[in-house]
Amino acid sequence: MNDRVTSDKKAVEAVNAWFAARGWKIFKFQRDVWKAALSGQSGLLHAGTGSGKTYAVWLAALLRTMRNPTGGKVKGLRILGITPMRALAADTLRALQIPASDLVPAWQLGARTGDTGSAERARQAKALPQLLITTPESLSLMLSKDDAKALCAALDMVVVDEWHELMGNKRGVQTQLALARLRTWNPQLLVWGLSATLGNLQQSLDALLGAGNGVHKGVLVRGKTDKKIIVDTLIPDNPSRFPWAGHLGMQMLPAVVDEIDRSATTLVFTNTRSQAEIWYQNLLSARPDWAGLIALHHGSLDREVRDWVEQGLKKGLLKAVVCTSSLDLGVDFLPVERVLQIGSPRGVARLMQRAGRSGHAPGRASRVTLVPTHSLELLEAAGAKLAVATRHVEARAVPEKPLDVLVQHLVTVALGGGFLPDALYAEVTTTYAYRNLTLDEWQWALDFVARGGQSLTVYPEYRRVLPDEQGVYRVPDNAIGRRHRMGIGTIVSDASINVKYVSGGRIGSIEESFIARLKKGDHFMFGGRILEFIRVNEMTAYVKRATGSKGAVPRWQGGRMSLSSELAHATLAQLRLASQDSATGPEMRAIKPLLDIQRQWSALPTEDILLVETWQSREGWHLFLYPFAGRAVHAGLASLLAYRIAKNQANTFSIALNDYGFELLAPVEVDWASHFTASEGQGIALFSTNFLLEDIVASLNATELSQRRFREIARIAGLVFQGYPGQPKSTRQLQASSSLFFEVFRKHDAGNLLLNQAQREVLEQELELTRLRATLEEIQKRVISFHPLLRPTPFSFPLMVERFREKLSTEKLSDRIARLVRDLDKAATP
Amino acid sequence: MKSCAISLAGEQLVLLPQKAIYWPRKKTLVVADVHFGKAASFRRLGVPVPSGTTTQNLTALDELIGLFGAQRIVFLGDFLHAPKTASSSLAAMREWRLRHSGLDLTLVRGNHDLHAGDPPAEMEMQIADEPQVDEPFAFCHHPDVDNDRYVLAGHVHPAYLLARRNESYRLPCFVIGQRRAILPSFGAFTGAFTIAQQVDETIFVIADDTVIAIPTLR
Repeated sequence: MNDRVTSDKKAVEAVNAWFAARGWKIFKFQRDVWKAALSGQSGLLHAGTGSGKTYAVWLAALLRTMRNPTGGKVKGLRILGITPMRALAADTLRALQIPASDLVPAWQLGARTGDTGSAERARQAKALPQLLITTPESLSLMLSKDDAKALCAALDMVVVDEWHELMGNKRGVQTQLALARLRTWNPQLLVWGLSATLGNLQQSLDALLGAGNGVHKGVLVRGKTDKKIIVDTLIPDNPSRFPWAGHLGMQMLPAVVDEIDRSATTLVFTNTRSQAEIWYQNLLSARPDWAGLIALHHGSLDREVRDWVEQGLKKGLLKAVVCTSSLDLGVDFLPVERVLQIGSPRGVARLMQRAGRSGHAPGRASRVTLVPTHSLELLEAAGAKLAVATRHVEARAVPEKPLDVLVQHLVTVALGGGFLPDALYAEVTTTYAYRNLTLDEWQWALDFVARGGQSLTVYPEYRRVLPDEQGVYRVPDNAIGRRHRMGIGTIVSDASINVKYVSGGRIGSIEESFIARLKKGDHFMFGGRILEFIRVNEMTAYVKRATGSKGAVPRWQGGRMSLSSELAHATLAQLRLASQDSATGPEMRAIKPLLDIQRQWSALPTEDILLVETWQSREGWHLFLYPFAGRAVHAGLASLLAYRIAKNQANTFSIALNDYGFELLAPVEVDWASHFTASEGQGIALFSTNFLLEDIVASLNATELSQRRFREIARIAGLVFQGYPGQPKSTRQLQASSSLFFEVFRKHDAGNLLLNQAQREVLEQELELTRLRATLEEIQKRVISFHPLLRPTPFSFPLMVERFREKLSTEKLSDRIARLVRDLDKAATP
Repeated sequence: MKSCAISLAGEQLVLLPQKAIYWPRKKTLVVADVHFGKAASFRRLGVPVPSGTTTQNLTALDELIGLFGAQRIVFLGDFLHAPKTASSSLAAMREWRLRHSGLDLTLVRGNHDLHAGDPPAEMEMQIADEPQVDEPFAFCHHPDVDNDRYVLAGHVHPAYLLARRNESYRLPCFVIGQRRAILPSFGAFTGAFTIAQQVDETIFVIADDTVIAIPTLR
């Protein structure tokens, strides 16, 4: 025992000396992490922004080796790092090279990601380095090797970087399953996570350490928090009285140019890739002299282009970079001085993370400046300021037992040494994601990989995973194993097409559907350039530089993020202050004239008042509601209300929505008031949570949504094989689309749990059913303020002019097609 | 249900929402790309597709035969999907053949048939390479076969993307050109390939139980 204390002390002294030699101070939280790790505890280190996190956790891992009498001379893998981004792996490795070469000089350090070259791979195949940094996908791939257990025999600690980024998605679930595997092999294994501030840190810790069927003794350590975050707003000179999306956008261009001009290096965050392209173009045309000094960075650009931009930032060569969430993560760019956020930040955590990109120098505050793109975003800015000041940060939900990921994991484990079902069930249910996995669901997943589906059916020809004589489930067919390894992972990208110059040189990738609409000679904006489309050949679109300045902007699919509940509530709180004439701050002062008109013509919605507006125009009968619950919830809510109203009175509703509210427009008269009057002793039936699920499913084209969702599930579960370059001919007969699987399952295997999962994911993730229910409950408590309008109000106007509308209708498919065809006919007739 | 009668090469043909063509004068059903045994071949390669698609295909043929009193079926290639068709699929097909023993069956070989081999002799099918001429038509698998007659073909599994404003639907379709027509794939477990409408072609989409013509490009 005393020996252990002495050796611990010696190791810590070495690290102290190492810090002292650099003139660095050791923070208390760093010592806390070291102490906990040395005593055998796992944990999660969280901090909003600021540095020192990396050394806290990684040096703890080194300390545990250094205290051994062998002085860190170990063979095989000792420390494993998991990171969500490949680029981050290389960066962390660089940062660790220095302390490692001083403290454990005999060690090899390595990274293994999709980017790792074949020479390095071959070297690692012989012996893994002592410290290896990898991604969740590459880790699963390691676990699928025959000798996976032997490779990890000396593993002592796992470090998961940016855990907040993984815990909320299926990659995080994949990580949880992999960690459970490693813990089975070594129950003493330590796991430490690094995370940004979250609203549900305990859950985050549980998910990391696997609190499925028992207690872990992990600790939460809070990092240095003295970093100040300043949130402010570029106030438009002249916030127009009638705001709508995009209207204010370019009006703010001169102010943004000024800000960039005044600062050393600025990051300009936008919410979408299209927005980034547009702002980059506009900045360049406002300041042609900035060519070469400003750059564009988003996820569809080629890796090389992005690397170039990131290097430019590090070296301080760039004046500004217009970017998307692609620069949210990782890699600290020291010289960044200013951060601008164009449009709503949508969430508090995201805003804080983006703010943290600036002011890395000691003693500097992080500062983010909001640039509203329409007047109502001033409200949100005021709310965001408050939410950041009070650190009211969103929680991140952990996915509940996604069976597609489990099915993939079963095959991975069957390849990586095989499994006994009972033991693996016990292991899988230790994870947080599968803590509620029932035996039935487990049996279903096992049957799915072992028998091809229904347990009662025998498919003699089917074999993917089979038990051997000892009852150990393995993959008997090498070709199946190879195909599985090619498909490991949970990131499913839409079919995208490479964009290349005719003269050579890759620019990036764009979704197929955008390219399909282009004709030869069309111009479009991509990678900050105007390009002319030449032709498509084998998944590549060939282009050349175009002359001229106008071009279509690709719209990338994918998440239009919804306003978070925290930010929505903070905004409503500002509105209540405004309704009591006690709002303060430059944002609220700027928007006051607009709010005054809203109050004069109607009222302000607040946390206690649900504003309902009705209006009659040439178009029909309008209803406006302002629950402030975000787009996704409004989409579900609008369909639900339309459905419930149309149940008693046939109608067709056109629906418009934004983050603040939604509009129903009916061509046939509706007595709106009658629907918002509660009968004696009862709530308003429209907002009832009774039969919520049934009504939602009936009101939306739930099947179509599920089918879209199923694409991802089919890939992860290994139904759809995407193929690979130079694939053998024999795999071609394996090609079938996920929609085909969806149809066949629905018709012949309706009990398939993957179908079930698709519907659950639609309800939980796209329509945010839980939040929808909570919103309904909140609305029931609000007082209804009902206002028939004489003219559209500032709040209703942006909804009225919204061009993208959904329809709720009960038409048959063939009737809908016939209507579209009539429409086409009319358009084609001169 | 709404089918669509058209006139091709001087003959009346009916485009059916069941993804087949009926030729009344010859009491003939024309069907392309059934891909029998495809689901089972997936299962053999470790991809769990539920059973039932073979039965679904045969039941669909039963219905069409009953509906029109057809005396002949012409399969425009890709009858079997892959070699070593599962015994369960073959048994179901044999049983079906016995129930329709008077029916004339013709198969024009497609690319899958060349690899998978001909159906077993008990199926009592006339098997030929493309083009198989039955005036005024040439039955083929590949649409680009050069022939003086009007070509009826499969192979492509055509689908049409109908998009207007916020709505878009991808629907299986018939492609009727000046010199050849392409049928949608008949098989229950076959995918589709989105085609672009050419200037001299008419597209007929299938929306559930209805065949609808898409206005021609001008």
